[in-house]
Amino acid sequence: MKGKVLKGTSLLLASVMLVGSLAACSSKEEEKKPADETGKTNTAENTTETPTTDKSPITYTMLAADPSPDWNQMQDEVGKKITEKTGVTLKMDFATDANKVALVAASGEYPDIISAKGSSNLFVDAGAVLDLTDLIDQYGPNLKKVYGDYWNRLKWSNDDQGVYVVPTYDGVGNTYFDAGGAFSLQHQAVEEAGYPQIKTVKDYEKVIADYVAKHPTTADGKKTLGLSLLADDWRIMISVTNPAFQATGASDDGEIYIDPKTYQATFHYRRPEEKEYFRWLNHMNDIGLIDPESFVQKEDQYKAKIAQGRVVGVIDQKWGFQSSIDSLKKEGKNAATYGFYSVQMDDKTVDHTFEPTGFMGGYGLMISKDAKNPERIIQMLDYLASEEGQVLINWGIEGKHYNVENGKRVIPQAVQDQKTNDASNFKKTTGIGLYNNYGPHYGDGVQDSTGNYFTTNFPEQIQKTYSEEDKKVLAAYGKTTWKDFYPSEKEFAAKPWGAAWNLPVPSDSDANIIYNKLTPIVRKRIPEIILSKPSEFDAKWDAFLAELDKNGVKKYEEEYTKYIQERVNLWSGR
Amino acid sequence: MEAITLNEKKPAGAKNKGFWFRMVQQKYLYFMTIPFVIWVFVFSYLPIWGWTMAFQKYRPARSFWDQDWVGFKHFVDLFNDDRFYLVMRNTLAMSFMSLIAGFTIPILFAVLLNELRNQVFKRFVQTISYLPHFVSWVVVAGIVTKMLSIDGGVINDLLVWLHIIDKPIVFMGEGKYFWTIVTSSDIWKEMGWNTIIYLAAITGIDPEQYEAARVDGAGRWRQIWHITLPGIRTTISVLLIMSIGHLIQIGFEKQFLLGNPRVIDYSEVLDLYALNNGLALNRFSFGTAISIFNSVVSVILLFVANGIFKRVTKESIM
Repeated sequence: MKGKVLKGTSLLLASVMLVGSLAACSSKEEEKKPADETGKTNTAENTTETPTTDKSPITYTMLAADPSPDWNQMQDEVGKKITEKTGVTLKMDFATDANKVALVAASGEYPDIISAKGSSNLFVDAGAVLDLTDLIDQYGPNLKKVYGDYWNRLKWSNDDQGVYVVPTYDGVGNTYFDAGGAFSLQHQAVEEAGYPQIKTVKDYEKVIADYVAKHPTTADGKKTLGLSLLADDWRIMISVTNPAFQATGASDDGEIYIDPKTYQATFHYRRPEEKEYFRWLNHMNDIGLIDPESFVQKEDQYKAKIAQGRVVGVIDQKWGFQSSIDSLKKEGKNAATYGFYSVQMDDKTVDHTFEPTGFMGGYGLMISKDAKNPERIIQMLDYLASEEGQVLINWGIEGKHYNVENGKRVIPQAVQDQKTNDASNFKKTTGIGLYNNYGPHYGDGVQDSTGNYFTTNFPEQIQKTYSEEDKKVLAAYGKTTWKDFYPSEKEFAAKPWGAAWNLPVPSDSDANIIYNKLTPIVRKRIPEIILSKPSEFDAKWDAFLAELDKNGVKKYEEEYTKYIQERVNLWSGR
Repeated sequence: MEAITLNEKKPAGAKNKGFWFRMVQQKYLYFMTIPFVIWVFVFSYLPIWGWTMAFQKYRPARSFWDQDWVGFKHFVDLFNDDRFYLVMRNTLAMSFMSLIAGFTIPILFAVLLNELRNQVFKRFVQTISYLPHFVSWVVVAGIVTKMLSIDGGVINDLLVWLHIIDKPIVFMGEGKYFWTIVTSSDIWKEMGWNTIIYLAAITGIDPEQYEAARVDGAGRWRQIWHITLPGIRTTISVLLIMSIGHLIQIGFEKQFLLGNPRVIDYSEVLDLYALNNGLALNRFSFGTAISIFNSVVSVILLFVANGIFKRVTKESIM
């Protein structure tokens, strides 16, 4: 009976469309008038007040593919300032489930601003969004300045060189100062092992094995877990499969590996090197160091285990278990928090984690063809892109969230404490960090005209967020940040294709359909292979590769190779 | 000849006249149904227009005439996908399990509740038993996973303590347990709720029948067998026919929330398949094709079930 609720996607879709089109028919007539009127008043104000920018209050609807739990309807301090400076208020709608963006695309009723992440192509294909080239030329001098030499990377495709997406996810000129994944170890384990060299999976394994052998249970009697992995839905990629890139010295491009010379794409499980990584995980399971619930547990169970301080090693990105680290810190269990190490299969390969991508363009904002006064949106984005706007979204308001001492921006200790210990509330009230993905921005390590960094992440600032325990471990290794364990980005040339994971692949292309067949195979087989007996490993791995082959993995790779080559051509302006 | 034709004409004319006559007579009643007819038309029949999508290479925001027509391509794709058959197996298996358990247990429970003399206790039990119906599946899935966990899960602890098993079993990681887990959690959640309708039906049975049976010397079991169960037979068959119609539309929340990569071959159901391969990939046409298949099978099942019941028990919903 419950099935009735979901009585077929077609009916749902069709009714959405129907209602949508009815609404569109009825509202078009009504909407036209106010639009014209506001247009008139705007021009009137333009002539009387400021000749260049219009700051009369205006509200835009916006759909964001990423939920932002701390969003405060622009009632936070930074939000109020943005409204004051540009007149714009954003009325946000978040896509709480994956299909919302697709449904909006199908409905034909578009919000003014759309941040669709990977689904941008839906809107562009449908002709639902504006080509912004001329608008930016006219109203966005700061936007042009921010993107600078990367302008080519904003263009849609070789055939259609329009700019539909203002990239807002990736920071321009970003350099990383801190590492946050994927191989992490509890400080107490490293300390007890006497700060050994941690370079290979064997070193990593030894620290875990020794600690578990010595402390089979935690102080409060819970079983110590060697390594806990998370395979809940897409998280399997972050915690189980993608670390194979890192450990084999390859550059992580999502689910594919791209040969830096030939641009040949390979579904990364098909690299012989990675087989060895999974063999190692299989071995870890065999000797009982992998939490037997790894492939069954849900995200909350996983985080709870880490927060109890009983997981010695975590293979995951730091953002994946940040909340657990926070609660460990709150309970004063700093020894059970984690350090991040560069771990390779053997010493022949080099960790490519920090291989620079250059500015990646990609995910960002689009403006609907139905938006009123689209130039106002561009002007708002332009304000955010200006030096003033950049400092505002990153640092907050002068005298309140930061002070300028001897020409340097400094965050007062009280504010910093609040930011570290009560991050979510801080974000909600101040708005610092809320707007980074809603406007173009510089990345870490870029300096403004006064010689200060645009973002609040710079080496000295990062060390301030470290606990005493973090510093102690780092000092024992003679390092200052976790990143120092990794080869620096200066050792690599930037990848000319940026990162393949943000490549817009046509939604109904064969590559996409094949990928959807490959995904369940990977998600089912990889856990099975890791949990099998070591003697069966080779046979199971071969069967896995054969299954991929049968489902068209080669065709998938071919298509992807084509996309990559096209992108390299587009981005290099050829 | 003439007489015969006259004779034939007469009743026909009278019947026609009767229909129109009655329609005029009952015009207000007809008027009153109009809003509902419109409602059904707009929300149940107009959307069927969307089925045309299944035969197109549908692109959003283009007008109907600008779409490319591809015929039965999406259906061919669907029936050529091995995964589709696996998914059908899972859907039907879990449907049948929940159909069987979901009918016998609430009926038994209703009959037993009915036999309780203490009204206060009866009400209490009934309320407690249907409360889980209001708990969301997200929460239920959390409780089930925690209970079956090997990390301090109640079930494993209990089984180990009773020496039924030597070491904890990863229940959630074994495909063979999955269908049972889904069915049992479904029973736990919906048993009490489904009992309500049978209890209501039992209340409708004339108490004189029980008195008569008692006078004839029937004991409790006899009364249940000869009066209570036949008394709710109509309700049972109507509900059964309707559930058979929904056999392959079992939704996907349970399977989605309780599933994990290790049991994916047992947990993926048709609706989830449609979601993953249709909407999630923006293949609206393919998704529509699946749901047409879904609806057609449902209608066939409904008619077959209805036909069988009509013949066997002389009861039907149409």
